[in-house]
Amino acid sequence: MAEQDLLTVSVVTPDGSVYEKQTRLAVFKTTVGEIGILPNHIPLIASLEIDEVRVKVQETDDKFDEIAVSGGFVEFSGNVATVVANSAEKKEDIDTTRANKARERAEKRLEIAKQSNDVDTTKRAEISLRKAVNRINISGH
Amino acid sequence: MGASLQEIKRRISSTKKTEQITGAMQMVSTAKLSQIQRHTTSYQVYARKIRSVITHLAKSHLLDGGATITPRSKESHENDDQIDGLSMLVKRQVKHTGIVVITSDRGLVGSYNSNVIKQTMELISEGNHSAKDIVIIAIGGTGADFFKKRGFSVPFEFRGVKDIPKFRETHQLVKKIIDMYDDETFDELFVCYNHFVNSLTSEFRAEQMLPISSMNVGSDDLLAENESGFSAEYEMEPSEDAILEVVLPQYAESLIYGAILDAKTSEHASSSMAMKSATDNAKDIISSLELQYNRARQSAITTEITEITGAQAALD
Repeated sequence: MAEQDLLTVSVVTPDGSVYEKQTRLAVFKTTVGEIGILPNHIPLIASLEIDEVRVKVQETDDKFDEIAVSGGFVEFSGNVATVVANSAEKKEDIDTTRANKARERAEKRLEIAKQSNDVDTTKRAEISLRKAVNRINISGH
Repeated sequence: MGASLQEIKRRISSTKKTEQITGAMQMVSTAKLSQIQRHTTSYQVYARKIRSVITHLAKSHLLDGGATITPRSKESHENDDQIDGLSMLVKRQVKHTGIVVITSDRGLVGSYNSNVIKQTMELISEGNHSAKDIVIIAIGGTGADFFKKRGFSVPFEFRGVKDIPKFRETHQLVKKIIDMYDDETFDELFVCYNHFVNSLTSEFRAEQMLPISSMNVGSDDLLAENESGFSAEYEMEPSEDAILEVVLPQYAESLIYGAILDAKTSEHASSSMAMKSATDNAKDIISSLELQYNRARQSAITTEITEITGAQAALD
């Protein structure tokens, strides 16, 4: 494959494509740490944390587009990085009131689950809490 | 004939009202159908992506050696020690069969529901399962009512799937089904639904979705697609096992969600069809009633004229 100086990042969820852009650099938080992908990276599959995906907007400045993802994985080949996640939101699309409500709900659930020693529910509540907090964090900065 | 003239007139006007209603319902269904089809297109991008990754992983050596997943590894049956934690790949001994039956909540959808239910019953009797080994998960009220009445165990039912089901909304439901598989409520899972072919036809489908096997991963056209676009060797981060653990549940979820979406699409299609034929029937009835009405009116006039001319003749 010919060398290219741009890679395409697209974020797909079951409810459709959320984001698509050509960029010089994309940064993913994987389960084992942060990785940055530049054009012509070797093919890669990595599982993602509940965190953000950052995509450099322009070469000249340090601005990044931020996308909140709820886990999932990223697949990179042929200079296309596809993030496949159950849900994802661009920073500007995050509904903070909804996220805050989700956090309250998750906190309540977590408390109840902890009291009754329900391991499964605790785990699930923790995950929803992390998703909500993640969205709040990203929309905040 | 005088009284029936009034009668016919009333029937015409009431049939016309029915026609208006069914006509409106048809338009609503058609609009929903085109909406959901648009949504399905965007879902398919996601489904294709997740499938191609799964297919790639299925082709790689890990699954060949470890699981009973690819066609080439049939001889390594039951050799599942290596893939601990990837429970979705492991064929367990089947004690209970889970069947997800997707029907509609509402009526007025033609043969949609009866078709699914009939074929599901056939599937159950073909498989020689006794009723107590069957676990029904009913999505949609019609199926839930039917199977409960028949004495099947329906541990979970869900009513009120949205007209355009979004993944976010159905996620809880899908998750629940997967959890039940993990809890060993059932050991294999079939999903029975009407697959949308086009707006005139739909066909019944029963697909085995869990455990994930070569049957639902590497169908031929997918492999062909895979050959062209996904021949690259991937670097795995952190490891293939860890990635499978993320991807497989996501894959299973997307399969079930896809089935719900597909079923809903064909529900809208058959509802639109049913309403169309209802509207057509109403039109037929109206035209025959109008004919009848005009005849009756004509004969009333004729009688009147005969009476008048008779009276005239008597006077002269």
